Amino acid sequence: MIITRKAVARRTFLRGVGATVALPFLDAMVPALATAATTPKPPVRMAFAYVPNGLNFKDYKLGYEGKLEKLSRILQPLEPYKQDINVLGNLTHNAGRALLDGPGDHGRCSASYLTGLQPRKTMSDIKAGVSFDQIVGQHVGAGTSFNTLELGIEDARQAGDCDSGYSCAYTNNLAWRAEAQPLPPTLNPRALFERLFGDDAALSPEARRRRNLYRRSVLDLVQDEARQLSRDLGPTDQRKLDEYLSSIREIELQLARADKDSISIDPGFEKPYGIPADFAEHFSLMTNMLTVAFQSNLTRVATFLVTREGTSRTYREIGIPDGHHPLTHHRGQEDLVEKVSKINVYHMQQFATWIGKLKAIKEGDSTLLDNCMIVYGAGLADGNRHSHEDLPTIMAGRGGGSFQPGRSIVYRKETPMCNLFLTMMDRMGVPTEHFGDSSGALCGLDGLDLT
Amino acid sequence: MQFTTPETPLGLMFDVNLGMTTDSVLALALLHGLAGKQECRVASLTINYPDLRAARLCDAIERYYASATGPGLGGSVPAAVPIGIVESRKAPADQPLLARTVALKDGEGSKIWASVIEKWNDTAIPEILIRNTLMANFDGRAAMVVSGPATNLATLLNLPDIIPLISAKLKVMVIADGEFPSGKSDPGFMSDLPAAKRVLADWPTPIVFSGRELGRQIPFPGASVEKAFSYNPSHPIAAAYRAGREMPYDAPAPAMAAVLYAVRRNEGYFKLSEPGVVSFSSDGGTEFRPSADGRHRYLIADPAQVERIAKVYVEMASAKPAAPPPRRLPPALQKLEEEKAAAAAAKKQTPPADPPKPR
Repeated sequence: MIITRKAVARRTFLRGVGATVALPFLDAMVPALATAATTPKPPVRMAFAYVPNGLNFKDYKLGYEGKLEKLSRILQPLEPYKQDINVLGNLTHNAGRALLDGPGDHGRCSASYLTGLQPRKTMSDIKAGVSFDQIVGQHVGAGTSFNTLELGIEDARQAGDCDSGYSCAYTNNLAWRAEAQPLPPTLNPRALFERLFGDDAALSPEARRRRNLYRRSVLDLVQDEARQLSRDLGPTDQRKLDEYLSSIREIELQLARADKDSISIDPGFEKPYGIPADFAEHFSLMTNMLTVAFQSNLTRVATFLVTREGTSRTYREIGIPDGHHPLTHHRGQEDLVEKVSKINVYHMQQFATWIGKLKAIKEGDSTLLDNCMIVYGAGLADGNRHSHEDLPTIMAGRGGGSFQPGRSIVYRKETPMCNLFLTMMDRMGVPTEHFGDSSGALCGLDGLDLT
Repeated sequence: MQFTTPETPLGLMFDVNLGMTTDSVLALALLHGLAGKQECRVASLTINYPDLRAARLCDAIERYYASATGPGLGGSVPAAVPIGIVESRKAPADQPLLARTVALKDGEGSKIWASVIEKWNDTAIPEILIRNTLMANFDGRAAMVVSGPATNLATLLNLPDIIPLISAKLKVMVIADGEFPSGKSDPGFMSDLPAAKRVLADWPTPIVFSGRELGRQIPFPGASVEKAFSYNPSHPIAAAYRAGREMPYDAPAPAMAAVLYAVRRNEGYFKLSEPGVVSFSSDGGTEFRPSADGRHRYLIADPAQVERIAKVYVEMASAKPAAPPPRRLPPALQKLEEEKAAAAAAKKQTPPADPPKPR
């Protein structure tokens, strides 16, 4: 047998002066004589996209189990991907409940969401627990550039009282490296871009603006290596590499637009440099970069605090000038309930767009989405009632082939959310006996009929 | 979830073989009667044998009490607490009393039990429900009463870090089963033998037993049923009682004694045995061995109290559903509310300013 194909190492980078670009998973990274059994599988990645203030349950709940058929109004944006998602019901975070600490559901629910522990009610000596994304990141991060990535969209102050005596550190972070050390999300797309692909984050906005006049695409810096590598690849890999580099270029262009936004809009307003004015654009920019980070194995674990608990963010772009959190306390008033649903749908539309992008990227015989576990979830079920049971939870992806999506799975009441985390840890290759208040792994994600 | 404070009434967790015996239904009614007087709270309800009909019955009874008014069997009132039940995919064993009870129909031929429970996932995982309930109670402000198999307690003991939690939260643990000081009866607690052995060996708090002999000595007086529940011709508890056996009959009531003791320990209703160690055998045999460092005791009927207890049984089990207690706030917020109310009252007392003179 004559082997003409040249193998490419999994951890290959395109290097240029001041830039390093990781590569996506290419066919050439599979050894030429590999059999199905020995073919390395793409790694499994996981991410959490967290939305605050619960969902309007009337428009969220499916009301049935089994194969996904008609989706609810809020889930409707996921219609093209309903064979790629499982909608999970009845998962509960007991640690988000008052227990003995009185009011403060927003503070508790976000701090306990990934830690599985009730945070200490305080504004100073904060204490929660190590979040499970960090545990996974420490175990699987060795072959990646970043153990974990923490992303967000909304300004996140870290001190002060954000909910009935709970520190803002609780509402404004999802990931916790240690019990008193939250990891604030990166909000600025350019900071994230530079973290992933370049190193000029330290420059001042003014200096960066000057530099941008002469700025070259990061791809310009690595183009020689890219051209050379491309010559050694087969047509499929060439196309894949081209698409990948194009997606990076697309992000650069988005960032350029965002920079323009931040310069041209409301000069009197102290807007962080490089953050898009538009929510959807910001969401898209962050998830585009996360997609590239997953694709190129820069990281395998990410958390995305879409907006923070208790946020009063408005959504004028969809005709809602009212704050999100006040709206959720609608007390059944129809016009307010409708606005909450609109916000919920708007968020879901952005998520669906991201899922579509993950699905469009091929990885061997599968897609990037197939090799992901992307959870879209909330720490409160119904924002009006502040309930912590039956938390909205959507799992997108096949977890590397171990999940069978396309179903509505309703667990028994009080099933700990931490059971889902335990299951995800197992699929990430970090088998753990116990996490938070878990009582065992979740059944049913692999297709077992629980009805 | 209602905020609890150290002054919140004792939270009673009832793990029950509901529908297996008339006593189990009466004990739930007694619990609601005591809760209506705010002497305790119904903190959690779990069923310890795998028959969804029992969960439906429990849900229907809860809906009745949650409605707080009238017959309340319309199914429109949400259950006060989620119902936990041990799950099994096998067909349930024959339960004659439960079957008779759930088949009861009203005068128009409709089933009187309205429940939203249809599937296992309409119910809660019992051991998690108990664990979560314990966590929501202040130390020493929870009580547990068990009537029926030890299955749920054994699975509870399998949860991580559960022993310190039980030790801290439980004020009293009462198991309604056994024949004391020794004897034989149908296996109840011991019908899941491995579970019962596990609980007797590993349960971290003292256990008080309410034996079958006590239940026979102080039964629920059947003659009182028609009069006591007459305020509601469709009363679910009275209906369940009538389904139990040919009327009139006195229902042995060890579970009622267990509930009454757990809530009113200091009322002197029962005498307590010396400390010792209880052992069971699979054929329903009980043996109590006195031991100074034993962690078990059993309740003993006091002849002077029998009439008084029977009266309490009737009065409390047939009590009209009470409106839920006012929402309790944490002390700091409560103080604020009181200050606001006082300010509003003071403002009311201030004489109004002179009305403007007509032009």
